[in-house]
Amino acid sequence: MKFSYNWLKDLLKFKESPEELADILTMHFAETTVKHCGRRIILDVDLLSNQVAEASGHLGLAREIGAILEKKFIYPKINLKEKNLVAKELLDIKIKSPNCNCYSVRIIQGVKTKESPKWLKEALADCGVRSINNIVDSANYVMLETGQPLHSFDFDKICFKSTASDKKEIIVRQAKKNEKITTLEDEDYELNEDIMVIADNKNLLALAGIKGGKESGISKNTTNIILEGANFNGANIRSSSKKLGLRTDASWRFEHNLPFNLTGYAVDRLSQLIQEVAGGNILKGRVEQGILKEEKILIPIKWENWEKFLGWSITKKEIVHYLSLLGFSLKQKKDYLLITPPCFRNDIRIKEDVMGEVARLYGINKIDSIIPKEVLSIPLQNEFFEFRKQIKDWLKGYNLEEVYNYSFISEQDKNILHNKWQQKLVEIENPTSALTKYLRPTLLIGFLKNINYNFRFVDKIKFFEIGKFYLRDRKSLKECFVLSGILAQKEKSNNDSILFYKAKGIIEDLFSKFGIDKDNYNFKPLEGTEYSLLLEQGAVIYKNKDLIGVIGNPRRNLLKEYDCEGNSIFWEIKLLPLLEIIKEEREFQPLPKYPAIIRDISFIIPQNILIDKILKVIQDVSPFNLEDVDLFDVYMGKNLQLGTKSLSFHLTFRSKDHTLKNEEVDKEMKKIYKALENIGAEIR
Amino acid sequence: MDLNQLKKDAETGISLIKNTSDLEKWRIKYLGRKSALSLFFNSLSKLPIKEKKKRGQKANAIRQLFSSLYEKKKNDLKSNLSFSSNFIDITQPGERIRQGHLHPLTLILNDIINSFQKMGFSIIEGPEIETEYYNFDALNIPAEHPAREMWDTLWVKSDVKNQKSKMLLRTHTSPMQIRFMETNQPPFRIIVPGKCFRYEATDASHEIQFHQVEGLMVGEDISLSNFKAIIEEVVKDIFKQKVLVRFRPSYFPFVSPGVEVDIKMKSKAKGQKSKVKDEWLEIMGAGMVHPDLFKRAGYATNRWQGFAFGLGVERIAMIKYHINDIRLFFSPDIRFLEQF
Repeated sequence: MKFSYNWLKDLLKFKESPEELADILTMHFAETTVKHCGRRIILDVDLLSNQVAEASGHLGLAREIGAILEKKFIYPKINLKEKNLVAKELLDIKIKSPNCNCYSVRIIQGVKTKESPKWLKEALADCGVRSINNIVDSANYVMLETGQPLHSFDFDKICFKSTASDKKEIIVRQAKKNEKITTLEDEDYELNEDIMVIADNKNLLALAGIKGGKESGISKNTTNIILEGANFNGANIRSSSKKLGLRTDASWRFEHNLPFNLTGYAVDRLSQLIQEVAGGNILKGRVEQGILKEEKILIPIKWENWEKFLGWSITKKEIVHYLSLLGFSLKQKKDYLLITPPCFRNDIRIKEDVMGEVARLYGINKIDSIIPKEVLSIPLQNEFFEFRKQIKDWLKGYNLEEVYNYSFISEQDKNILHNKWQQKLVEIENPTSALTKYLRPTLLIGFLKNINYNFRFVDKIKFFEIGKFYLRDRKSLKECFVLSGILAQKEKSNNDSILFYKAKGIIEDLFSKFGIDKDNYNFKPLEGTEYSLLLEQGAVIYKNKDLIGVIGNPRRNLLKEYDCEGNSIFWEIKLLPLLEIIKEEREFQPLPKYPAIIRDISFIIPQNILIDKILKVIQDVSPFNLEDVDLFDVYMGKNLQLGTKSLSFHLTFRSKDHTLKNEEVDKEMKKIYKALENIGAEIR
Repeated sequence: MDLNQLKKDAETGISLIKNTSDLEKWRIKYLGRKSALSLFFNSLSKLPIKEKKKRGQKANAIRQLFSSLYEKKKNDLKSNLSFSSNFIDITQPGERIRQGHLHPLTLILNDIINSFQKMGFSIIEGPEIETEYYNFDALNIPAEHPAREMWDTLWVKSDVKNQKSKMLLRTHTSPMQIRFMETNQPPFRIIVPGKCFRYEATDASHEIQFHQVEGLMVGEDISLSNFKAIIEEVVKDIFKQKVLVRFRPSYFPFVSPGVEVDIKMKSKAKGQKSKVKDEWLEIMGAGMVHPDLFKRAGYATNRWQGFAFGLGVERIAMIKYHINDIRLFFSPDIRFLEQF
């Protein structure tokens, strides 16, 4: 909010330069910067939302500066010259809405509407307010001075209570459904019961706390005026102003729940000013309704609490000194201090607020730093977090680059996805644009965009990301941490399998680094799973019966949509199920008592017989003494018949109860040869 | 022509040769078409047959000797050459080992977490899709509170119509304060790193998604001075002592009093130009936990006190690495990623 440096200086007569003052305010109140506009010096104070009620006027800010500088601030005295005619005899106020706390007006007769004097125009300009005429400008000036929004009505445009009455009446009430009003700016609004209005017996005069109505407004010919100062419920003004899509300086101030007692003071101050700049006669007294004073709050704080909460040792004298500077009323008792916040501080409610005020005035930056006297304890390990950190380190070692993509996908991305995936998307109710309409159901889409972008600079991409995907599952929304990655090369190769084995190697090596054995997971065909709608030629990874991951080539239509050249391979693995495997109790295996015999076997076999199947055949025929089967060579190509591959395995035999003899192993090997020949192997 | 002298010269010459180009010169000199030996053979034609035969035989023997000397030397040099391939140039760069890179946000997050772990803080995590209750109401920010302005929210469509469980993308990591306290008793000190979201048009300094580290320390007498000491220690640790810290008043509905923490890079030595503007930069909102939160967590009244804070991770990364555009974090560009 903009404050005029000179205005503040006039009020408080301090010596500090604008820069010094800004510094002091920043450290003791709210962040402040200085702006020089020609000869004008403006302090831009970033008022915190609890400070608006107290200090959104120059008086409030000057009072605050006074407290910080330990300089006494005196309110400007108001001297009203009132006529004998009593305002109450011309006007009644009726509050029918629960959202109006109090309503206070004065009547001035015989004013002359004209241009404002130069000083008034300049004061408004300092604070960025446009000059309109002397009446409106005065109301704005007093608002900038006190923080209380004020409004003026043309008295003659308000109707009488009834045809028989010579009294007029202002009613504060909730609007009726479909009631309409035209504001000072000529905008029409249709209202409902949620919105509070100011009305007379026939017409709407204003949107309470937000904007004046056109009909009742001040015009060139206005001579008799009503000056309104009111206090409205902040939450109601905020919701009304949101519903109407109309935010004004006044509504912003009311939203912060202004102090009740400000209304009378501000209306009197405005009357005085209008008389100065527009002449006229002020009628005797204010017409007022509602609660005019805030409830008094008493906050007792034990003397011993201060140091316990603030931390540094502070004397009773200091406490009393700072609170007095801030205008708190104090009663010192033996065990405690009884505190009443000043009436303009409706943000002070609990003892922590009060103690905070002392810290603020003393200077939070100046207080002692004291390391807590806590029992030393080693922090609990967050296994999942450490797990992810370890994965990142290892993947970096595999020469992969870590990326962070957006959690959002666009409308366009959605349309590219298969229907089944579309149905599971988590949707944003109020997206910032079409780009942020949904949450990502897989990290693949981000990677495809990355490929397209980065192929401008490099020919090969190896990216990984650890982040969440989000899905709607029946009624619940799910988020799941995954490890995803992509390997991509710009140059199209006819052999997709090279990249596939590279990626699979990364996953398998990562698993084995964590001690996840091959028995803990297995690769199964992609077909039939929902991932086959994203990928083609790949595998899903199972842990027991749970699908925990996937690896494969993104479908051609996806690559085309995102304009990705060449080959790529993507993987995505849920991390929690992996961690569970790792966490399973590990037991020591006794060292083997008897030696092993290792035999190698090589054979040619049709390509479509999968390694998994071969392993199973081998293990099935020799279940007892075969300890381990290890594939160490795969060959396809030259010298081999098309459609066949050559495989070589190490077979490790060991018995649990005796030293194996060669003849025993020969017998086993014969069984294995036979079984392999049965599935089409040609032993070499 | 003195063949004996020629033989002597040639033998001495070749013994001194160390490389193939010198050997070639030797060959031209002693075996070439214009060599003394060739000229000698040419001159023979003018001599009578008997003389020709006698001298010729001797010259021939010498020529054969030269040829064999030449071949031998050639082979020697060749094997010398293969010996020289064992030579190690210790100044030649070693074979490059390729490694990937961790994202700058990961690096900074690790730094932050390490510092807090040294101070005894445990890591806790929470959901990114939150309820309105935990994100706002439980933190003293009811729907019509003007402070809601500070947290522009992305709401998530959900089938559940219960007002209390209206879903949103968490706008800060603070919901974990309540979630954690609901199931844990003090004393404790935790940090909560995580991704957050705001309804925000993106530009160089605003992002729709960002990361925070929430902190919460509660005990019987955890004070404002304690907060100040811990934050000073940690911030200095993260920035390797190269930074100034300052504390000033602020406001958040779920703390009282509220504090804002700013940092400024210490000015560099003379002559060194600093890339960072010489100004205070906001890195953290904080304060003493509001007693309403303890009440909501079901704690005994007036028994516990402590502080909470929220640290902006991108902010720290931008300051530490002099990054001037927040969007670089979430638009993976290999030229950016490879720098870390």
